[in-house]
Amino acid sequence: MGRVSMRKQKILVVDDSDMNRLMLEEMLGDEYDIIEAEDGVQAISVLQRQGDEIAVVLLDIVMPRMDGFGVLKVMNQNNWIETIPVIMVSAESGTTQVEKAYEMGVVDFIMRPFDMLIVRRRVVNTILLYAKQKRLIDMVEDQIYEKEKRSSLMIDILSHIVEFRNGESGLHILNVRTLTNFLLWQLVQMSDEYNLSKEEISIISTASALHDIGKIAISSKILNKPGRLTDEEFAIMKGHALAGARMLESLQFYQDDPLVKYAYEICRWHHERYDGRGYPDGLVGDAIPISAQAVALADVYDALTSERVYKKAIPPETAVQMILNGECGAFSPLLLKCLSDNAEKIRKEVQEKAILQENTREPHSLGGQGFSLERVGMSERTRRLLDYERTKYEFFVSTTEEIQFEVTASPPMVILSKWGAGKLGLDETTTDPANDEKINEVFGEGTWARMAKSLHNTTPESPEIVFECKLHYLGEDHWYRIFARAIWSSDDPPQYEGALGKAVDIHETRMRLEELERKASRDSLTGLLNHASAREWIRERLDKKVDGNFALAIFDLDWFKSANDNYGHSFGDSVLKHVAEILKHSTRGADIPSRIGGDEFLLFLDCTVDPERIIDRIFNTLNCEFENYTISISMGVAKTSDVGRDYEALFRAADQALYSVKRAGRGRYAFYSDSMKDIFIAASELGDRMES
Amino acid sequence: MTLKECYTAIGGDYEGVLSRLRSERLIQKFVLKFLDDDSYNQLCRTMEAKDYAEAFRAAHTLKGVCQNLGFTELGESSSDVTEALRAENGAEAERLIGKVHEDYKKTSETIRDFKAQAG
Repeated sequence: MGRVSMRKQKILVVDDSDMNRLMLEEMLGDEYDIIEAEDGVQAISVLQRQGDEIAVVLLDIVMPRMDGFGVLKVMNQNNWIETIPVIMVSAESGTTQVEKAYEMGVVDFIMRPFDMLIVRRRVVNTILLYAKQKRLIDMVEDQIYEKEKRSSLMIDILSHIVEFRNGESGLHILNVRTLTNFLLWQLVQMSDEYNLSKEEISIISTASALHDIGKIAISSKILNKPGRLTDEEFAIMKGHALAGARMLESLQFYQDDPLVKYAYEICRWHHERYDGRGYPDGLVGDAIPISAQAVALADVYDALTSERVYKKAIPPETAVQMILNGECGAFSPLLLKCLSDNAEKIRKEVQEKAILQENTREPHSLGGQGFSLERVGMSERTRRLLDYERTKYEFFVSTTEEIQFEVTASPPMVILSKWGAGKLGLDETTTDPANDEKINEVFGEGTWARMAKSLHNTTPESPEIVFECKLHYLGEDHWYRIFARAIWSSDDPPQYEGALGKAVDIHETRMRLEELERKASRDSLTGLLNHASAREWIRERLDKKVDGNFALAIFDLDWFKSANDNYGHSFGDSVLKHVAEILKHSTRGADIPSRIGGDEFLLFLDCTVDPERIIDRIFNTLNCEFENYTISISMGVAKTSDVGRDYEALFRAADQALYSVKRAGRGRYAFYSDSMKDIFIAASELGDRMES
Repeated sequence: MTLKECYTAIGGDYEGVLSRLRSERLIQKFVLKFLDDDSYNQLCRTMEAKDYAEAFRAAHTLKGVCQNLGFTELGESSSDVTEALRAENGAEAERLIGKVHEDYKKTSETIRDFKAQAG
């Protein structure tokens, strides 16, 4: 082989013993790429990411975290076991273990001690067997696809002949099929009453194309009569239901074929009404097969919303309303709910499918025959593209310093980028993260569960969520912004499969913002609130607690100017800081102390008890010695019970009380009373006169 | 000391392992690698902590490694402990672990001697 050798096939070796993995690698490494996993959880993580590349899994039984049987269980749940062969590696020869393993889909056993020849031979045989099987499945799938495409084509041509005679466009059949499919999907989501599988819904939808074949037996004169039908003509027209059913019944073969069975139900009963007033048999309620019920509703909806020779198209919203009002027949309440709950989706669905002209219809899968084809059929080219994308992704992940993660819905699991896992001190792979202790410790209790729920609640049209939260690691909280995008399957309706996401560190920005906010609201010398923010806080408090009693005190330091002059400004600053400290210590959490300027302070008190005692205590604490300097203060106080709850009024009243204290000789406190109002007015007049 | 003599000294089955692995070079590589294998230390730690569930896994792993390398004696003594632990009989395992310590000491010392000689 030249240097550009063929791509080696990959073997996943799952064993908790380094030694055992090393031995297997030595025996197989020349021919295959070996991917190692130390326990079951790591194995699942590898299978989740690159299961379609793994040619065979060598699986130990006894392992920590998740053992070999745990891995088999998950492989069964996800149907991986159908396409990825597993060879069990074991020294256990107990028959129950072996039996259990075979039952869970294991292909073969390699017993310890390892024999090189046997190990190699078993691996080669298994890979060859599965490769052959896969080729066969591909061939069968291609054939089925061809066959189904052809039979679908036949059905379409046949139905189109009927429509052509009927003067309708081929779109009606297509729309009825789309609608029937959609309604039945909604129905099985909403209720367990109708036990319809994916395959059955698909067959019913195909069969729906045949609903009007009986019209071939109706004379084209009646069929295409432009005006209203006479009673007699209408009776003949009604005969198309039974005529279609008879045609199918008289088929010599295929009576047991589900397609024929459903087509019969649909032809015969698609004009029955849920209230029993339909034709030809007058069946009531769920005596009408659900296939015919769904087609009937689809037929009516499309007839209303399409243009016909005798009528114009009705807008979808009006059509839904008319159907719900019972103007166009009687239907099961459950089906009506499917229609009304999804009116907008149905409108889009019909439009899109009509445009696509259904070139993309999927063949039925070979359900129940042991393999699900959707998973298997992947061409070599697709695989190579996938490889390329994966390499690209892994490269970018490895070079970026970002916390990235992948979430899978079933089994519930999160895979963190290597760098991210290291940063947060978490494992790269965690199963059941919502209930994982370590995850909850880092993300905060319940955060993960809430995120999983929000992701699940997104829609394929808008699958993204963003939120901010604190992540706890290295003993500290860090602010992060989490971006995540849910992954929805392309099924109809789409299924939630998991999500991709990343966590971006916004700690510094957030802290800076908080710091700025803090700084802006506080006095830089004492750390107390400044006047503007104190005012805001007080107003908020007054508004919030309408029946509370409050007091507002304003005080300043007597002869403070002389302290500055005699001892210098830095000493003056120390005095102010000291006063602020006393204030902080002698007030409670609900109180609001503030420095409102120079040597002026404000104190807002929540007075559940008599404020006079509190004021007296605080006043006495404030009058003290500081480094041989005697602090003396004058204080004025106003109570909401006297002045009312307006901030400006409270402030003015406290100011007046303070003024009266100063006039009386400082070093005291006084509560505002109405008599001060006059004193204040008189004093200010005096002041005016003195200034002039 | 040849590899074969090393096997004889530790009570191993050289013929058996050669017939399975078919390469003296490979056997030598695995034997030397055995010194780095952590399952014995793990067994000691977990037995000491009386964590018998973990001890079972460690003993089971050690047994498997010994079987693969054809270390018959250590394989048998660790297999005895494995079975006692599988039956959740801690007292029995405590009684049997002494033989494992003895066999492991002999095995690892002999391999170290062999390694020093082989350079």
